[in-house]
Amino acid sequence: MSTKLAAMILAGGKGTRLQALTRKIAKPAVSYGGKYRIIDFPLSNCANTGITSVGVLTQYESSELNTYVGNGEKWGLNGVRSLTSVLTPKQTEEGSAWYLGTADAITQNLDWLDRVDPEYVLILSGDHIYSCSYDEMLKTHIAKKADCTISAYPVAIEEASRFGILVADKDSNIVEFVEKPKKPTSNLASMGIYIFTYKVLRAALIQDAKDETSEHDFGKNIIPKMLNEKKRLVVYRYSGYWRDVGTVASLHQANMDLLMSGENKTNLYSVQGSNRIYSEDPFSIPQYIGKKAVVRDSLVNQGATVEGEIDHCVVSGDTLIEEGAICKNAVIMNNVIIRKGSHIENCIVGPGAGTDIGEEINVGGESIVLIANSKGRKDE
Amino acid sequence: MKDVIGLVDCHTSPSLGELTAHRTLASTSFLGRYAFIDFTLSNFCNSEIPTVGVLVKDHQRSILKHMGNMLSWVNNTKTGHVHIFYNEKGLLNPAYNSDIANIRENDWVLYDSQANYIVFASPHILLNIDLRPILEEHIARKEECTLVYQEREDCLTSFLGGDIIHLDEEGYVKKMEKNDGSKKKAKVSLEIIIVNRTLLAELTRRHQMVDASWGVRELLPYCLNNHLFRIHAHEFKGYARCFDSLKHYVDYSFELLDRNIASSLFLEERPIYTLTHDTPPALYGEESSVSNSFISNGCVIEGEVKDSIICRNVRIGRHAKVRRSIILSNVAIGDRSSLQDVVVDKYVIVTARHELKGDPSNIIYFPQGAIL
Repeated sequence: MSTKLAAMILAGGKGTRLQALTRKIAKPAVSYGGKYRIIDFPLSNCANTGITSVGVLTQYESSELNTYVGNGEKWGLNGVRSLTSVLTPKQTEEGSAWYLGTADAITQNLDWLDRVDPEYVLILSGDHIYSCSYDEMLKTHIAKKADCTISAYPVAIEEASRFGILVADKDSNIVEFVEKPKKPTSNLASMGIYIFTYKVLRAALIQDAKDETSEHDFGKNIIPKMLNEKKRLVVYRYSGYWRDVGTVASLHQANMDLLMSGENKTNLYSVQGSNRIYSEDPFSIPQYIGKKAVVRDSLVNQGATVEGEIDHCVVSGDTLIEEGAICKNAVIMNNVIIRKGSHIENCIVGPGAGTDIGEEINVGGESIVLIANSKGRKDE
Repeated sequence: MKDVIGLVDCHTSPSLGELTAHRTLASTSFLGRYAFIDFTLSNFCNSEIPTVGVLVKDHQRSILKHMGNMLSWVNNTKTGHVHIFYNEKGLLNPAYNSDIANIRENDWVLYDSQANYIVFASPHILLNIDLRPILEEHIARKEECTLVYQEREDCLTSFLGGDIIHLDEEGYVKKMEKNDGSKKKAKVSLEIIIVNRTLLAELTRRHQMVDASWGVRELLPYCLNNHLFRIHAHEFKGYARCFDSLKHYVDYSFELLDRNIASSLFLEERPIYTLTHDTPPALYGEESSVSNSFISNGCVIEGEVKDSIICRNVRIGRHAKVRRSIILSNVAIGDRSSLQDVVVDKYVIVTARHELKGDPSNIIYFPQGAIL
């Protein structure tokens, strides 16, 4: 079924609110869960759905992300009938242009899609954390003979003005769509995951490209316009764990959700079978927990050496937590060194960062802070 | 090092007792995330040897499973090759299932290749070695055969049954004998042997004439005694261990819990590669207590672990205690169970409140798939 379906992953965003974490890398390449990068989730979901043609659209600080995606090998998307392409803005006969919006990014790569020649196109965001198969959503799309199916997720009504909000009738037909409404009339938020019938999408994009007033954005332009034109838009209700981590605090919280004390809907860990998440496997040494170490309620990746105390932490590989160091409620990314006697709380320690001997950071602090310096391991 | 073929010689692997009853030593799990063959293959890869052959003696399935698509240990996936050498005739006739017989059976790999030098290495001898300077020396000196050895002072108990060599003034091997555990200090062979292509052809030819049951380790002393060629010796001073019994497997595994010793095996410039299993990081519960242990990805630990090695996907229940033990992958240990001085093979289920207890001098082994 899914050979009919091609996926386009929008991975060009900067993620400004993640502060220094995205200074040198794009948001989809940010580390998560001790082992993964955020983009591992949509790519693994594509692999687990059996999608064989994946285009990854990158723009901001793209070299590390482009290298990471490569030919899709890490997610098995390099098989004989598979195609994984990193699609960056390019020079053409018409000149050269950056991707002006989410829709424009797809418009600029219609030639790629034409070559793949799919019946349906799945539009995904490269910076969402969730584990699922898109099979059910495609089944809904086909069964309802939809032009576009939007995956939606119930959010708290007070948060609803941050999202694109849908109103649907009993038969799941979308009757209203407002991007970031001031007074939301529903709590059903668009997840930015769309399945389009390719012919319909192609026509809509070409039309939108000619419109000089358009921002070339799916949520702001394409979807409202399709609604106006009485196209058949359907909602697919998603109920699993899903996070769009925009800030340091929400990235920290999404990490903590993985812990045993965390949100038990996070099926990332328990799913070992068909919805597994694939990632890079750096050739790190085995994870060592030292003689005087204390490890409680934590998630620790291979390559980590823990000699100190960690409580309620997510620890990446190639990290060293020295004897006598205390880490509480912390996300510790790769190549970090937490020196002897230092004490950190409620924080994210960015890649290659660290602490000095005896240093205290944010102990008892109420908000989550980001530690970004170059006191960790030098080799990336 | 395009001119070189590396051969992983599984024919010389000793038994690790029951642990290797249904698998080869090469594919036996080590330190939670490796198999022994990873070290041999990584040494070849880090030494930029593009073509590798695995001389499989038996239990081919177990090796093939670990090798996966065979591309985890090659630098270039087009120019690099890993070949499986499998001698079906040898399996039907175990007395003649030697490494040389295996090479004769699969000699097309050598015909296909332009390589002038062949390096033998044995997975049961654990070391992290750069073969490039040794090969360069071998080529520059125009040697026919070079053997890597180590001078050791613990030969009463280690490298038993291995080869002890004696050198002449020029650094060539003058005599080889089996280590019978009677000498404390000796030069032992690390079973890394470089031979020229022409010499290997000569060895395989002679093999038929002298004794077809012999392997390289038997042929070399014979050739030496008959002055057929000279064997140049190269000393390796780094960390090396010979895995030849279940006791040594346990002792040497635990020894690496010492970070100073581990750092002499795991070197930043020459990482050890292995097959990825896509397992999530290890998850520790709120009441877990872990010290001085290697823990692998995919584990869920809610109990107490001390001085142990825990492989992938092991579940340790609440208030369960694991001490001085090696737990292989996919084992489930029930709540309030207690394990001490044991080696538990894959897929074992230890039911709740169960006690398994050996003692440090007598480690008890539990076979794969047992329900206890």
